[in-house]
Amino acid sequence: MKLGVFLSDFRTCSDVMDRLTAEKLGIIFVGNGVYNAAVKEGGKASSLLDKKADFYVLTEDLETRGFTAANLDSRVKSVTYGEVVDLIFNDYEKVIWL
Amino acid sequence: MGKLTIGCFSSLVGSLSLDFAVKLSEAAVQKGHKVDLWVSGNGTMLSKKGQKAFKDYSALAKKVQELITGGNLQVTACEACAEARGYNKEDTMEGVKRHSMDWYLASTFSANRVLHIGGD
Amino acid sequence: MATTKKLGFVIRTMPYKIEGSRLAMTHAISSQTVEIYLEDGDLVEPVVCFVGDGVLNCLRGQQAMKHYGLTSIEQHVKNSLLLDLNVLICKEDVEKFGISEEALIMNAEDIGGETNAKIVPYSEIQQAMESVDHLLFC
Repeated sequence: MKLGVFLSDFRTCSDVMDRLTAEKLGIIFVGNGVYNAAVKEGGKASSLLDKKADFYVLTEDLETRGFTAANLDSRVKSVTYGEVVDLIFNDYEKVIWL
Repeated sequence: MGKLTIGCFSSLVGSLSLDFAVKLSEAAVQKGHKVDLWVSGNGTMLSKKGQKAFKDYSALAKKVQELITGGNLQVTACEACAEARGYNKEDTMEGVKRHSMDWYLASTFSANRVLHIGGD
Repeated sequence: MATTKKLGFVIRTMPYKIEGSRLAMTHAISSQTVEIYLEDGDLVEPVVCFVGDGVLNCLRGQQAMKHYGLTSIEQHVKNSLLLDLNVLICKEDVEKFGISEEALIMNAEDIGGETNAKIVPYSEIQQAMESVDHLLFC
């Protein structure tokens, strides 16, 4: 399946994320999930970014929290709400929220 | 163009998850899609009329009503969840409908995509 | 032509502090009356999967009614089995919490139900997720 995951948290969800598999997996960081894309702890990026997936971060939620595209891990692409709509309809058959 | 059904159970004025649902609805409508926004649980707060807009709090009522008037967003509140919280029919914002939970399932039947934002 | 759409309710959150799992159950159960909104013969068929912390919703002996005057998740799970919904519980997560089958809600025989819940490997839950039309993570 082609699955888009809206990840809205920073500290939780590993129990689900570790086991999620899909033919095509997209992870869209929203809400507090954007910290996965922009913050390093102990010099290390979020381990989620090692997963085999396409990574996106919602620009509006990133900037709300004081980050810009310059803060992003190179694996993550910044997308607006409009681009998120296109991802939902064009790239993924199913979308979930964590 | 397609139909997106969003179910949002998150509280109004608190986590910004309901704000996300409304902004995503707006973006989808702007792209020419139709959106059903089902609010249940604490999300039924969105259906209550008389919300005041203060800068310290997210304010969704005006945007929601604009989108409903535009014709491509339908907002429906879970009747049981609303009543349990003391929101009666006469408390409901103009344009917002109220139905039982099976309405949400029926909405997903005809949707191209469904995004369920659970309660918190 | 009559169509059946399948919805996968994947319950991953613990009960009672938040209402995600309760609302997932009540929405899944509402599939019994959805046809009033649909064309003749069209149906919505839910499958309910408990994964991760969500398996804790399936513990027997919940006393929510006694202490909070609230229908327990246990009762909702039994109602779903009474209505013959497909209820899957993740085997690995049950084992992770050290929960025996005897401690889980496996049937609704006491209220006349004939369908049992199934403890299945996560791989079967993954298959269920792939087979449905829409996924609702709760």
